[in-house]
Amino acid sequence: MTYIALATGFLLILIGFYGALTNRNLLRMIVAFTIANSGINVVIIAIGYMHGRTAPILDATVSAADALTRVIDPVPQVLVLTAIVIGVGVAALMLVFAYKLYERKGTLDISKFAELKW
Amino acid sequence: MVNAIYIIVAALGAAFLLGLLKSEKRGTAYVITLFALSVMTWISAGWVWAFVMERAAPVDFLTGGTSPPFSINFRMGLPEAVLTLLASLTGLLSALYMKDVLCALGQRAMAVLLVAVMALTGIILTRDLFNLFVFFELAIISTAGLMLLSEDARALAAGFKYLIVSQMLSVFFLIGIIFAYHATGTLNIDGMATASLGLKAGGAIAFFFLFIAVVAELKPFPANGWGLDIYESAHPGFAAIFSAATSSAVIYAVDKLLLIGGAEWLPMATGIGVITFLAANLFALPQTNDRRLLGYSSIAQTGLILAVLGQRDILGDNVLYIAGGLLLSHAIAKAGLNWISGLVAGRELPDWAALRSRPILVFAFVTFIAMLSGLPPFPGFYAKWEMVRILAGEGRIALIGLILLGLLIEAGYLFRWFGYIIKREVPAQSVRCSPFQISAIFVALASGWALGFVWGELSNQYFGHDNLLLAIPVVFALTFLLLDWLPAWVKNSIAIVGLSLFFYLTFSDYDPLRMIFAIIFLIGGAVILLASYDSKGRRIGFYPATMLMFAGLILLIRATDTFGFFAAWELLTIGSYFLILRGKHSEPHALSYIIFSLGGAFLILAGFALAAQGAPLFNIDALAQLTQPLAPWVFLLLAIGFMTKTAAIGLHIWLPGAHSEAETDVSPMVSGILLKAGLFGLIVLLMTMGKQQLYGVELTYVMLWIGALSALLGNLMAIFQEDAKRLLAYSSIGQMGYALFGLALMNHLGWLMALMFVINHYIYKSMLFLSAGGVAKRTGTRDMYRMGGLITLMPLSFIATLIGIIAVSGVPPLSGFGGRWIFYNAIISSEYRLPMVIIFLAGPIAFLYLFRLIHTIFLGQLKDEYRKIKEAPFWFILPQMIYVALLLAFAVAPGVALRRVDTYLNQIFPGGGLQWTGTEISSAYGYWNPVAIMIIIAVIFGTLFAWLLFVNRKAQKVKQFNIVYAAERPYRPETTHFAWNFFAPYRKALGFLVQPFATRFWDGVTNTLHTAADISRRLYNGNGQSYAFHLLSFVVIAYLMRMGA
Amino acid sequence: MIKRFLALSLLVGIGAIFVALMMSYEPDASLNLTARYYAENTASETGSANIVTAILVTYRGLDTLGEVTVLFLASSIIGLVLSLGNKQNTTLRKLVPVGELLTTGKSYLAPIIMLLGVYVFVNGHLTPGGGFQGGAIIASGMLLLLLSDPLKHFSHALISLVESLSGFVYVSLGVLGIVLAGSFLDNRILPLGDFGDLISAGAIPLIYSLIGLKVGAEFSSMLANLSEMEDLQ
Repeated sequence: MTYIALATGFLLILIGFYGALTNRNLLRMIVAFTIANSGINVVIIAIGYMHGRTAPILDATVSAADALTRVIDPVPQVLVLTAIVIGVGVAALMLVFAYKLYERKGTLDISKFAELKW
Repeated sequence: MVNAIYIIVAALGAAFLLGLLKSEKRGTAYVITLFALSVMTWISAGWVWAFVMERAAPVDFLTGGTSPPFSINFRMGLPEAVLTLLASLTGLLSALYMKDVLCALGQRAMAVLLVAVMALTGIILTRDLFNLFVFFELAIISTAGLMLLSEDARALAAGFKYLIVSQMLSVFFLIGIIFAYHATGTLNIDGMATASLGLKAGGAIAFFFLFIAVVAELKPFPANGWGLDIYESAHPGFAAIFSAATSSAVIYAVDKLLLIGGAEWLPMATGIGVITFLAANLFALPQTNDRRLLGYSSIAQTGLILAVLGQRDILGDNVLYIAGGLLLSHAIAKAGLNWISGLVAGRELPDWAALRSRPILVFAFVTFIAMLSGLPPFPGFYAKWEMVRILAGEGRIALIGLILLGLLIEAGYLFRWFGYIIKREVPAQSVRCSPFQISAIFVALASGWALGFVWGELSNQYFGHDNLLLAIPVVFALTFLLLDWLPAWVKNSIAIVGLSLFFYLTFSDYDPLRMIFAIIFLIGGAVILLASYDSKGRRIGFYPATMLMFAGLILLIRATDTFGFFAAWELLTIGSYFLILRGKHSEPHALSYIIFSLGGAFLILAGFALAAQGAPLFNIDALAQLTQPLAPWVFLLLAIGFMTKTAAIGLHIWLPGAHSEAETDVSPMVSGILLKAGLFGLIVLLMTMGKQQLYGVELTYVMLWIGALSALLGNLMAIFQEDAKRLLAYSSIGQMGYALFGLALMNHLGWLMALMFVINHYIYKSMLFLSAGGVAKRTGTRDMYRMGGLITLMPLSFIATLIGIIAVSGVPPLSGFGGRWIFYNAIISSEYRLPMVIIFLAGPIAFLYLFRLIHTIFLGQLKDEYRKIKEAPFWFILPQMIYVALLLAFAVAPGVALRRVDTYLNQIFPGGGLQWTGTEISSAYGYWNPVAIMIIIAVIFGTLFAWLLFVNRKAQKVKQFNIVYAAERPYRPETTHFAWNFFAPYRKALGFLVQPFATRFWDGVTNTLHTAADISRRLYNGNGQSYAFHLLSFVVIAYLMRMGA
Repeated sequence: MIKRFLALSLLVGIGAIFVALMMSYEPDASLNLTARYYAENTASETGSANIVTAILVTYRGLDTLGEVTVLFLASSIIGLVLSLGNKQNTTLRKLVPVGELLTTGKSYLAPIIMLLGVYVFVNGHLTPGGGFQGGAIIASGMLLLLLSDPLKHFSHALISLVESLSGFVYVSLGVLGIVLAGSFLDNRILPLGDFGDLISAGAIPLIYSLIGLKVGAEFSSMLANLSEMEDLQ
């Protein structure tokens, strides 16, 4: 189970990278990165998963006393939350940049924004 | 002390608070921003004070009510305190610098700036891996945001490219974090280090991703195109932060990561660092855009520091001193240079000539590039010395070679740029700046010097070296910076008094050999400075440079250990470079001078480091104790280094231009005095190390050949010159060849002759340069064929030249003959026949060019345009007359100077000396009585002269001097002049010898470098997608190399 | 074509590293050092039933502050980009009429969505969810409003007031942690209360609510800015 999730996550990352490397359209590149970000989020969650355990919330079913044996690792869950939010922030930023670039040149082709070079 | 978390709190609190202000209240918002940045600076400064002054121990600050590793903690130690101070101070100054644009864009821009600086301090302070990631992301996003401050429309695209790259990096970073967490069960950096991540399953790969993600932020080659684009298009105020603060923070993050990775990752850091350092410096060579050039240089510098961090295994605790010195030098210099770039209107390098309207900015510029090039007295210099010393001690020679090569290239383009500033036409658009902007630059300038002092003190404390900024000659030289507002004649008087006084106070310190050099440097310098009274006005920049050169010279002969010697060597090199650069057309020549000199200096550095074998303090005398197999290599490095300064053939191409294009009173200084530094180095070398063999080749024998060839070819090249000062310059190559030859003979008489040459060359070359300079000043040209017949108008200059050439050519009765006599004695007593023949041949050739000085300049027909010129200025003539007197005196009584040296040389070469009885001097092969010779010559000359006057009393004056064949159409007027190409027949016979082989060779080297760089830098094609390819290739290659290792 | 090939071969390389990483992966059988500490001590130390929330708000509160700052940065920069544009309103785009369903639906749904958002972040320490989730839900309510009336202008002043004030109070609570409880963002500046109650776990619900407000405001400001940017076309 964990391996499947890990593999899926890594595959998503690779797909995202492939998209980013082969699409010259800025928007497509951004979407590709979003896919890669989802991939890494899956990987993080998969690492925290432990077979046969439940979410790290103490309630009627899991008491504080047996949390040690009943809950999965909470840390990756915390990390993934942060990672998601950061990913969203960056994606939003890239979109605005892409918009501005489009406004300036009337194109979304990344190879047209190569005035800075050498 | 204040909790370090308040640094973060101050920034964030202020950033959030800004949103509460109405958008019209930009002034208030700006004040809040500055206040928050000041608080951050103040807190960090408090910590620096606590660690430095009160020796406080590092403190951990906890968050979240638990101790690490279960919650995030900050650590404040000395490095953290210094770096947060650096980051927040740079932020504060840049905020001041960017007042206009920040106020124009409003609160949001200020908030982004605050968060940016906060993120950098967070990267420095945090000890939690994921927290590091969060701060990294904040830094990345705010960087992209601050790109919007730029007026450059292309900045937006640069920001986007950066975001593309950082998206990929954050994926790698997160993979690394989560797997490292899984392997060790903690996110705490120190916890991971103790858990030895690398040994856990998957730990090595996890660390690889962490390491790559952070190192990639340092813009390693080839994954650094995006970084360059940011540097080129960002607002200079932000570029200063990006270069100074961001790089420093990321470097510290790498340092923290290396704690986790352990020693096995160090080679990788060094490898990536050194390749980046070299590649970026190389690619910078053909760069014409100033900001992109600064970007290349920033990338190179961070690469160098990364390489140093990778040497932590052998540098040990010194890594703080070395990497810290390099890092702070880089940060201050780059912040300053970026700030200056905002004041210059044009983006091409020569546009920076605009700085000339404000000398303080020129001074700031030169301070910054000296800091970057690792020149004394700045921290980079001390860092360079200790680094090379330790690396050499551990046998990492290849790394030293690569680092020094990179440094040389960097110094090359930086000083080329400085040449543009000093020499190029001032552009129409002048420097525009606000007081805030000037003060930011001024703070950088002041901190640069202050850090130079601190590093000097530390060097004194830990390694026992002297603090260069406390050395009296250096202080004296730097004082002239403060006195530069005085008129030149006042400063000249202070300089002359200073030199003489220093000699008076210290003359008892020198042994007879050093005494000769001390007299030439100090008293000789004072005499030449008499000529400087001729200059009017303030002569800004002349005296600091001159006195820096003299400071270096005098420290050179006073040095007892290799550090002091090398520091003095670099000081005199920089000082003389500034002096040479002052000449009207000397821009390219000064550049080749500094590059050759620094190249030579680096060889000397490597030689000394190799000799010391890691010992912090190494006495020069201890060179004598070196043994095989090390000794010949040390000898070789040092010898080539010193021969660069004496312009031995092959390494000579800088000399003719540098010496001839210099100002009238500078030429004698750099020729008559400065060249002796190289000879002094060689003397010290040969005195301590003696004869060395490398692969069975006697190295002194090779030097003998070099000396002989320098003498022959130098003289040959001199005879074909049309330019009087160039002729004299080439003749110096020949003269130094003689001296080198004498030293390489390695016997008593050879050395005596070399020392005689030292004295003679100082006197007559200074004198000839002064008189040639005086003539050139009056006639407005240095081409000899344009002159002629000046004997009646400039009789004193004529006399000086006449006496000078008699002395140079070594005919009786003047001291040159004495030199020649000792010389013949010396070579007769040695067994080297073939070089001896060559050096004999060189003698008569000298007559050919010397003859031209008299014949073409002073004799013959006077030209119409010069009928009314006057004798050279008094202040030029005065030292010449002093030299005439000296030459005559030295000719009659050479024993005054030489006798003690002769005795002294007995210690080194027992026996084989001269016998001094009364006025007569005798050797195994004959005797020489200077007084008798003088009288005989005077009688013969007097008689002949009287007879000539009598015979020629009715002779007719001749008027024609143009020679044109029938039907010849002279397009170039000089070709018709009889004195032009005077030795054309000789050229036909011997011209093949004076082909500029060396010049072509070195041109070829530079051209190859330039072409290679120009082609390779096209890698950075500007396409963000290509940069993503570069990044992934970098990752894959790094991984493969890691697996291979 | 060459590009695709290059990209593929590079990704094969990266993929190989990933595979190597996966091969070395072994799932944990028991909680590791850090996780064990949280499982054992969260309830007693923070009083929060949701361990993730306790870590997020308290133990790793600094990360969360950074996270909120990321959004703050993003929304500031987006606002900045917008302010850089040429502000002359050119001809407005002809909009497709919004359907009756949407306009009616939004007036019923939007308040409920907002309320749900508030519920999610107020109960963050007890149930799954919290400030980020709640904030995102609130912002989705805003999105609905925007969809139904694309030309609607939100009060930037209000959004920015909520954004800044909640952020500022958040940082101040963190500082109070240093002053009252000894370390930054310590939640024990307020009594821990009874485990499982709404008002319990010290400052966690308060901080999480502030985060919720701030995230909601930041997303809303991004949405508003983006939609106005489009108006300018």
